Amino acid sequence: MQLLGFTKGLVIAVILAGLLGGPIDILAEEKIQDWELINPEGVVKIEIMKLNPHPSRLEGKTIMLRSNGKHNGDKFLIRVGELLKDKVKDIKIIYSWEVAPETVDPITGSHERSKKFAQKLASFKPDLVIASQAD
Amino acid sequence: MDQLELEKLGIPTVTITTTEFASLARDTAFGQGAEPSFVVVPHPMGMISLAEIRKKAESVFPEILKAATDWQPVVKPTLLAKPAYPAEKLKLKGTVENINAIFLSRGLSLGIPIIPPTPELVGEMLKGTSRRPEEVVGRVPPRMGVLTIELVATHAVMAGCKPSYMPLLISALEALLDPIANWRGITTTTATSAAMVIVNGPIVKEIGLASGQGAAGKMHHANASIGYAINLALGIVGGSKPPTPDKSTLGGPADFVCWIFGENEDKLPAGWKPFHVDRGFKESDSVVTVMGIYPPVDNIDHWSITPEEHVNWWGHLVTPLLSIGGPCWITQMEQPHIIGLGAEHAQLVAGAGWTKDQFRKALWEKARIPFSAWPKGCPNTDLFLKKFGKVTPDTLVPFTFKPQDLHVIIAGGYGKHSHFFAPFPGCFPVSRMVQK
Repeated sequence: MQLLGFTKGLVIAVILAGLLGGPIDILAEEKIQDWELINPEGVVKIEIMKLNPHPSRLEGKTIMLRSNGKHNGDKFLIRVGELLKDKVKDIKIIYSWEVAPETVDPITGSHERSKKFAQKLASFKPDLVIASQAD
Repeated sequence: MDQLELEKLGIPTVTITTTEFASLARDTAFGQGAEPSFVVVPHPMGMISLAEIRKKAESVFPEILKAATDWQPVVKPTLLAKPAYPAEKLKLKGTVENINAIFLSRGLSLGIPIIPPTPELVGEMLKGTSRRPEEVVGRVPPRMGVLTIELVATHAVMAGCKPSYMPLLISALEALLDPIANWRGITTTTATSAAMVIVNGPIVKEIGLASGQGAAGKMHHANASIGYAINLALGIVGGSKPPTPDKSTLGGPADFVCWIFGENEDKLPAGWKPFHVDRGFKESDSVVTVMGIYPPVDNIDHWSITPEEHVNWWGHLVTPLLSIGGPCWITQMEQPHIIGLGAEHAQLVAGAGWTKDQFRKALWEKARIPFSAWPKGCPNTDLFLKKFGKVTPDTLVPFTFKPQDLHVIIAGGYGKHSHFFAPFPGCFPVSRMVQK
């Protein structure tokens, strides 16, 4: 009986609210507030890496052409190698995938693997590496 | 980027990238503190004819020559605008709905609602861990944002976590930031890859993480909110947003809430050890294991009544996925793959007296495709032949070099379904003890 009375009261309250205040809009009840929030983005810390100067001329230099294995990267570099040989005297071209097939990997994954690949490629003592990311 | 490692060894480099990937390449390099020499080629380079790719090389050759000889490095100081702790405070005005809109427009959320992270709520969340708020969990690629414990708690608030979830959340993030987990690759690739988090040990029941029926699905508060917090923390602090540097071709729901569930240790067949024990931990340890994965494949098998039949079906089901490995992508053959056996399939296999080792060996022998299936131009062919040995076109090739790289877990509850989780290239599983 008590429950019935409560339900009846609730129905009346809702009808009255509807008559007096128009449609019930829950979202409209949310007030504009002043917020202090923690910025979730965080800061960036970047140690600047020292890069190497490029040679001013390629004559007599050893150039490594490096493909990561993505489709056509090697074909692109083969054409670049042909053009370099045509245009530059005494240039030596090394194709990375021929001398170090274990470094052919489209996604190296970790710094450790990357470091290992670089050490292998560096062992051929190139004066400059031209690398294709392809895709 | 391997070229940066060459630069560290004193060798100058020029990197060729395409218009679609130029900003990712620049951001990736910048995240490591470098602004190296790039030459940009109109996209695409892949999947075009030999004549077309040669023509592209000719068209940019003058630029390559110029970059090779004219480009010189510029020296800049270390970039660190502000201290990592305490985090900056934002003063905003509006409703919760307005805050959500502001956060999304500023790249501070992923697009589904967040709870505004007030200092009070973050303070409460920090009570769930003994770690100090200023401790650094790691730097998150590709932006290399500094993720502190305070920020982990901030993202936990935003995702609706309880303080008791903090130890698991922190351990999962630490594991994902281990370089061999390859978060950079997972979050910037064109593939539909995502993080998977498998949890073992007492922590599963302590915090109510689902491990049984529908464990990786809806209505499980711990799974949903921790999975959301992981992606929020890594996505926002790491700054990986589409269309770049997040290059996802399609993306998927695991970009919002990552794959996360407990192994169903209650349904482990007699004699089978839990996953974390296989990985060298004690049964009483609480352990989180993470790995970058492609979307899983559902093995629907309502019909097998012997393990042999079941394995035979498994073998045929997963063979289409082998194309991501073999001579085309040899690292896939060296990476662990995860077989999530459903409780009923596990019972079928173990009920016949099979051990985990027998199951993985049988599957490894069954799931093979002929060498001739791979395209002729696969880049790792020479290396593959060196490692695998002599092949004919009919030689059947497995998806890993050894059966031990198939990791078996019990995933989910009743039902005739199991799941195959192939790793994203370069990703290896990382396990961490959950420390309170």
